[in-house]
Amino acid sequence: MELDFGWLADPLYQQWLLRGVGTTLLLSALGIVLMLIIGILGAACLHFKLPVLELVVTIIVELLRNTPPLVQLFFLYFLLSEIGLSLTDPATGRSIPLFTGFTCVVLSLGLYNGAIAVEIIRSGLLAVPRETIEGARSLGYTRLQIFRYVELPMGLRLTIPAMTNNVVSLIKTSSQAVLVAVADLMYYATQIMLENFRNLEVMVLIWVIYILIATFAVLVIGRIAAATRIPGYGV
Amino acid sequence: MRTHSELKAFIFGMIGVSLFLLLLMVLVYGESTGTILHGLALRSPLLLTGSADLSSFGGGFSANVIISLWAMLIVGVCGVVLGIGLISSNPAMRLPSSFLMNVLRNSPWLVILYAMLYLLPFEVTLFGTTYFISPTMKAIVGLSLPVTANMAEVFRGGVEAIPTGQWESARALGYRRLQILRHVVVPQAIPLMIPNIMTTYATLFIGTSLVVVTGTEDVLSLARVVIASDGDQFATGIYIYVLFLFFIFAFPIAVLTRWLERRIRRST
Repeated sequence: MELDFGWLADPLYQQWLLRGVGTTLLLSALGIVLMLIIGILGAACLHFKLPVLELVVTIIVELLRNTPPLVQLFFLYFLLSEIGLSLTDPATGRSIPLFTGFTCVVLSLGLYNGAIAVEIIRSGLLAVPRETIEGARSLGYTRLQIFRYVELPMGLRLTIPAMTNNVVSLIKTSSQAVLVAVADLMYYATQIMLENFRNLEVMVLIWVIYILIATFAVLVIGRIAAATRIPGYGV
Repeated sequence: MRTHSELKAFIFGMIGVSLFLLLLMVLVYGESTGTILHGLALRSPLLLTGSADLSSFGGGFSANVIISLWAMLIVGVCGVVLGIGLISSNPAMRLPSSFLMNVLRNSPWLVILYAMLYLLPFEVTLFGTTYFISPTMKAIVGLSLPVTANMAEVFRGGVEAIPTGQWESARALGYRRLQILRHVVVPQAIPLMIPNIMTTYATLFIGTSLVVVTGTEDVLSLARVVIASDGDQFATGIYIYVLFLFFIFAFPIAVLTRWLERRIRRST
């Protein structure tokens, strides 16, 4: 079997791949932000034992964690396109649908990995030493201030290893975007394969690019972990 | 009271999620929920077994279960082999294993699935017999690969959890490395690994939804067929139904895993 990467010299293909990488990075970045927001809010609901919200969050987290992200994506895609909200673009005056495939993918990535993040952050909050919290309470901090200034900063640092896995999982899951026709890396890969029939070579290249993106994310998180480390606290 | 906390979580989760999905259905469909539920009930045999009258087996949701079981078998074997490579004392074994593990773990399942579709030949000839490799078999291989990395990690974690004293005393008795693994360490590590193996299986099972891209008749592709034939108004309902199917299979595994984990933590 011979691999032929000659097609890579074609500027059109290069442009497609770059555009695909851009979309994948954007999807992942927005997904990570949404994931963190959902994770922190959900973990806060569980942590403060808010009356109704605790039950709702538990149910939704169990549902999202135990079902395939792909089915969730399809479900959101159909549900949201049925609701069919649209925005008016101020520049062109045209009506654009609010929930495009892109938004659906970001939402579904944020929800699925957010549900995992809820559990991760909750266990991070539980791992904060009791003495530290008691110390903060004796200094007169309110429950919310303790959460904001003590538990969350320390808890989030403690979650970094588990969160790294979650971020990598999110980047990997983002390749599903192609199945709702979002022009991500995977989408352009299939386009290129349709044109040059170099299926295997394209797939190998895409494989390598995804691994590079994931490795890059792991390195960045490692840097963040090193930069935010508090010496002497074990976090 | 603590002993039943998982049972409580299980009952709560089952009832809670079912009610939540039903509520979603009512919110989307309003008064026509009954019609949609009736339509789903009519289509259930097809979605569950792949045949409209329950006459045969092996399509739809059952295909997902079967694929996950076959893939788990491959994962079990390859994962242990890769795991042995990971804990090998010989760098010539350890470094390639750890490289392979990292590559498999960091690559998207969908890409591996596609790659396997093109990488594996259409048919193979072994000892004069020609075997046809169906898309389902390719899907099984494609799914096993990334999960093998998880399994190898589980194996390594389990083996490393066994105190080094066990290794040293076995070596003092004259066992070789593989013998120690086989007779001393792995038998002790297996109970520790079981929860993680179950989590790995649950991940794999959830991942079987991706085989829809290979052209296997799994529950998602049949769901699409049903939507195409019965109309778009069923789409949301059917996806809620598929979510429910995956949930009632994967959730008990998750709860059981938590229960086992707690028992292990208590006993150590």
